[in-house]
Amino acid sequence: MRKYIETSKLLFKNQLVYRFDIIISMVFTVSKILLAFVLWGTIFGNQKVVVGFTFSAMLSYYVISSFITQLDQSSNAGWQISTEIKNGSFSKYIIKPMSILGYFTAQTFGISAFLVVFNLLAASLWVLVFRIDFTFTSNLSLIAAALLLILLGLLFMIQLNYYIGILAFRFVDTSVFMMIKDNIIQFLTGALIPLTLLPAGIIKVMMVFPFYYISYLPSMLLIGRNGGEIVLGIVLLIGWNGAFWILNHFTFKKLIYKYEGVGM
Amino acid sequence: MKIIQTKQLTKTYTRFKKEEGFKGSIKGLFKREKITKDAVHDFDLDIEAGEFVGLIGPNGAGKTTLMKMLSGIISPTSGSLSALGYIPNELKNEYKKQFSIVMGQKSQLFQDLSAADTFLLLKEIYGIPEEEYRRNLNYFIELFKVSDYLNVQVRTLSLGERMKMELIAALIHSPKILFLDEPTIGLDAVAQKQIRSFLKEVNSDKGTTILLTSHYMDDIKSLCKRCVVVNNGTKIYDGGLALLFDKYQTQKQITVSFEKETAYIPPFAVQIIESNPFKLSFMAPRGDVRDILGSILSQCEINDISILEEDIGNIVERIYSIKGGSSECENI
Repeated sequence: MRKYIETSKLLFKNQLVYRFDIIISMVFTVSKILLAFVLWGTIFGNQKVVVGFTFSAMLSYYVISSFITQLDQSSNAGWQISTEIKNGSFSKYIIKPMSILGYFTAQTFGISAFLVVFNLLAASLWVLVFRIDFTFTSNLSLIAAALLLILLGLLFMIQLNYYIGILAFRFVDTSVFMMIKDNIIQFLTGALIPLTLLPAGIIKVMMVFPFYYISYLPSMLLIGRNGGEIVLGIVLLIGWNGAFWILNHFTFKKLIYKYEGVGM
Repeated sequence: MKIIQTKQLTKTYTRFKKEEGFKGSIKGLFKREKITKDAVHDFDLDIEAGEFVGLIGPNGAGKTTLMKMLSGIISPTSGSLSALGYIPNELKNEYKKQFSIVMGQKSQLFQDLSAADTFLLLKEIYGIPEEEYRRNLNYFIELFKVSDYLNVQVRTLSLGERMKMELIAALIHSPKILFLDEPTIGLDAVAQKQIRSFLKEVNSDKGTTILLTSHYMDDIKSLCKRCVVVNNGTKIYDGGLALLFDKYQTQKQITVSFEKETAYIPPFAVQIIESNPFKLSFMAPRGDVRDILGSILSQCEINDISILEEDIGNIVERIYSIKGGSSECENI
């Protein structure tokens, strides 16, 4: 376990190297809040409530869900895996006495931990500066459930991106898969709009898939809603994580023999 | 004790042939012609514990492919191989903890952090006890004199400094086998010499078995007693280095710069490479070198003179042609 903790620490340290980058990324978290202000301000107009959301609840949802979405850096890991398989530098993971999935999980958590610390600080600052009437639940069990769902969701996303990444053993270039996945996920996770705005039938179908529980449900829980979906969310995410763990294990075993370690 | 053993090891690569031009690219969308090539063919190799073996051959001979199979990075197409009693491509952690591989053009260091940060990660990955880690690190820092840039961002290091760090990263867990693929490529003469003396000491001091590929004859000559020559994926010579050079390195390259315009023609059977009034470069039979030098020194005012070993490619070519193109290996 210590090797994975050290990997996370190293990637955390790696994020701290370029100070200007840190400052800019913190400052620019404000752009998301401004965008939400303009977008939802226009939609709300003179209305006090839209599809059950007040303006401040909608804004809070947006801030929280975009924060959770940003925590998920697994897409970069997926790109990194497929690029390194293509250029032959993936060999350095194969020869190390550690799980490759474990390594990339630790790497992603290291980067996410950095974002938790710095972007949370920045987001809190902007909420204070703009005097946003921030809606946030005080129910500890809802907060705990949301944190567990976020953790399981991040784990699932790492596994999904790892899976697409290792498909490069077979297809060499997986950029099309990655692009399709990134576009679909932005919509399915509710990062663009709250999923309650969608027709009930579509929401029911989406609830079978893990994406509903990754950003949307934790965000709703943190603004004090959807408490009844916690158990289903946790069970489903554990199930999807288990399924993808098995899928990744066998896919890696089946495809690794195709790796030639060639490239620049 | 045999530490590495391969029997009839073969690796076949499949590639697609693409016709040139735009039309060829469109055509390639629908129909592709497959080409198969044996990068390594029926390769038998035994290496004893503690040996320092040089693997030489021209580009594309199959040296790196062999290294990759021995380290488990790629799987063989057929044949068998075992290293330290393990089958490398089964990727067992117990085996991975006992070897290391350094590829001259690939890095395992984190570029934005210091080498010391990567070493700390490796300590945990290989489960090295604190005391052993400190002892090994201090040993290598002292050996390589790298204490000044241990805590410097890797991307700012020179190529020679980075390669030293790569070697420390590869050796920090005291591997029993070290695979080195062109470790001195691109380094200047001073750095090459330092790396060589370092490797020599690791081999003799720690008993690490080392398999080295290099294009620099000096690397092979100063480090390896045994040498395996590979050409077109097959082994064509396996034996003592001294014998290889006695038998096949028949030429040396002599380059002379003159103080003033000189029209010197060597009175021996030599092959001229470059000739102008101020410089003469030629290949000469090894046995004649002493007499040629005597002749030059007595007849010309020289500014500089250098004698270089013959290129690896020429030696391989000569072994191959002497054997009439046969891929049968000469075991000595």
